[in-house]
Amino acid sequence: MAASEAALKIRTAIDTLKSSGVRERPLVEVLGLSHQMADAMQAFFGSLDRSIISEFQYIANYIQKTRDEISGLQPNDIGNARIPDASQQLDAVVRDTERATETIMSEAEMVMNREPTDLASYKAEVDAAMLRMFEACSFQDLTGQRIRKVISTLRHIEDRVSRFAGALGVQDSSAAETAEEKRNRELILNGPAMNGPATSQDDIDALFA
Amino acid sequence: MAVDLSMPVLVVDDYQTMIRIIRNLLTQIGFRNIEEAKDGRQALEKMHGAKFGLVISDWNMEPMTGFELLQQVRASEALKATPFIMITAESKTENVIAAKKAGVNNYIVKPFNAETLKSKVKAVLGDF
Repeated sequence: MAASEAALKIRTAIDTLKSSGVRERPLVEVLGLSHQMADAMQAFFGSLDRSIISEFQYIANYIQKTRDEISGLQPNDIGNARIPDASQQLDAVVRDTERATETIMSEAEMVMNREPTDLASYKAEVDAAMLRMFEACSFQDLTGQRIRKVISTLRHIEDRVSRFAGALGVQDSSAAETAEEKRNRELILNGPAMNGPATSQDDIDALFA
Repeated sequence: MAVDLSMPVLVVDDYQTMIRIIRNLLTQIGFRNIEEAKDGRQALEKMHGAKFGLVISDWNMEPMTGFELLQQVRASEALKATPFIMITAESKTENVIAAKKAGVNNYIVKPFNAETLKSKVKAVLGDF
């Protein structure tokens, strides 16, 4: 029952009582009017309470559920520890590979440019250069471990975000194309393919034959 | 007629190690005059300042990509005859076809070896 409708019923009942004079009316009629008023008020306040309480209950439950899920995401652990650590590991991978590449290339260039006039000293120099190249290749073991740590962090985040999205029923909204995505599309920048080239050199050669 | 190994060759790549690899391989082949540029824009400036007998370019660079460089070179009356080889990790067929349509002379997909580079340079310039 709408508030205006209930108010109107109550006002009508009171007016009826006032205008007719309660003492001169039979008790049954007064009781009937009282019941009518009570019913109208009960109907109005009853419906008002139920809908508001149920709405607030739903909102409170949703907030609590969201708080629990956000807490389950461990955002502080991810933001303060895991992501900075992964970033440092990747920086170290770049640094280690650059250093190793520089060493290997410098040694190879030295060997390539050396004239073998004295064979004994030439062999000694080449042997020493090869050893330094082998040593430089040891970076692979460290970078492998570092990358595995980064992968583990990404899986940790993926797992929690998926659970969060699932629990809250989050749907992906259609995002607008970013400037970088637009540039990549227009300039056909796909980047390296996984598991080797998308088109083999032989197939490319066939296109140029 | 044998290729003039003293001709200037322009190697364009934003990754210094790759420039160094290509430079060493070209030196092994016998080329003696190798110039470098770190992106398409710098390459284009160098090409307007000197004549190059061959351009070997990566695709994915900023601010100007190798594909844009190729388009600019082919659109320029003064530069359009310059032989152009693309060396890139962009290996989708759409990339190869787009480069061929834009006028690339040959296309090498990364990672590549010395023999592939040598054979493509030969295919574009002729025997050494």
